[in-house]
Amino acid sequence: MAVSTDSPEEAWRRRDRTVAVGFFVLSLVILYLPAGVQGELAAALRATALRPFLLTQETLVQVRLHAEKAEVLQARLDSLAAIVTIQAPLVQENRHLHELLGLWERAPSVFLPATVIRPGTPGSESVFLLDVGSERGVKPGDAVIMRDGQIGLVGMIRQVRGGSSIGIDWSHPDFRASAMTADSSVFGIVEPWRGPFREGDRLILNGTPYHETLEAGTLITTSGLGGIFPRGIPVGVVEGVQEEEGRWRKSYWLRPVVEKGSVTHALVVRGGGAPEAIMELFGEGGSGSGGAAQGGGGPAPPSPGRIR
Amino acid sequence: MRRRRVVAILVPLLVVLHLFLHLGLGIGKAAPDFMTVALLLAAREVGMGAGGALGFLFGLLEDSFSVLAFGANTLALTIVGILGSRTRDYFVGESRRFFFTYLVAGKLLRDLIHWLVAGEGVRQPFLNAVVVDGTVAAVYCAGLGVLLLLPFERKGALR
Repeated sequence: MAVSTDSPEEAWRRRDRTVAVGFFVLSLVILYLPAGVQGELAAALRATALRPFLLTQETLVQVRLHAEKAEVLQARLDSLAAIVTIQAPLVQENRHLHELLGLWERAPSVFLPATVIRPGTPGSESVFLLDVGSERGVKPGDAVIMRDGQIGLVGMIRQVRGGSSIGIDWSHPDFRASAMTADSSVFGIVEPWRGPFREGDRLILNGTPYHETLEAGTLITTSGLGGIFPRGIPVGVVEGVQEEEGRWRKSYWLRPVVEKGSVTHALVVRGGGAPEAIMELFGEGGSGSGGAAQGGGGPAPPSPGRIR
Repeated sequence: MRRRRVVAILVPLLVVLHLFLHLGLGIGKAAPDFMTVALLLAAREVGMGAGGALGFLFGLLEDSFSVLAFGANTLALTIVGILGSRTRDYFVGESRRFFFTYLVAGKLLRDLIHWLVAGEGVRQPFLNAVVVDGTVAAVYCAGLGVLLLLPFERKGALR
């Protein structure tokens, strides 16, 4: 029978080392867990230990929004009232036609307002948290658009819990959007381009036909192809050619319509959103009514693009 | 013993402050990484096992918002916690200069491991993420860490 000759200090050191190795192995296991389990674990932490901090940011965002000057809000309300008045007959006519055709049941709740919370922790730079979840009909893949200021695509929902959801913005490496010029002449794929620093992240429009040249200032919107994003959401504005490969491919720099850092309040487009509702929000062809429907009066996006 | 008591109070406070600045106020890089400061501070007072456990716990908290690089913070902070506790055996100095260097090295190591473990799609170029951003963040974090300990040092509570 072997007898241990370790002093208590040595035994303690050995036990300590074993515990350290145990935690090291556990951290490796965490790294290689299936994505679903990782998501559950993260959600559990957000719902318990981190809840007070998330509530703090949620409250602060709400307070900031409420603290906007009444005069500014009044001016916006007046502008919206004017737009709504002008468009009321059109909306009514549109609705009447839809009813006649039996195409679509009006769903005023296609857009769901949500508060955007930015974690600000390492590894979560392109991730945001929304205070709405599956309880309100949010599903993974729903588009997130910005309601205040300029109107455009922010990103998409990635994970959904009961009362909250996690989304990725356009700078996330997984972000892709099938896109087109506002007049539907040229199609391509919008993807993020990582800058040397996070502040330098940009968008590029890839996969456009070589013989088509897009002018600077051309508005690019989602095309609705691929079934993720509804058609017609402004994504970015062409700034110039990013890369030309041989004589068969061109990609363009895009200036995002929505600056990711400025998003504090957003709208979730539920269930892929009805195309009619999107068009109503942004204006057919991307001319931008400024969100007369429920959108909140942002400036009109640039005019539709022309192709040479 | 006084030193241990001060650290036992400071560490949870720093963690709460870190989470409040990063999550509560949503300040990104502008807010220092007090979580790493807290871990490095605590690691000098505990054994390898406890250092690893603390790093693991802190890392998990940080990872709760990582979609693509889940676990990168956990692994990075666990290693930093374990190595931090080992430094006690090699460096006995408690001077301000030592503590500053210790914090800078710890934070740099944390960023380096996170960069290595995070997927290629998630991370920025090494030169920018670790060398430039990492060094600035490490100096910023260490400077604030040293400043934070000054009052306790003056009162002799860290001896």
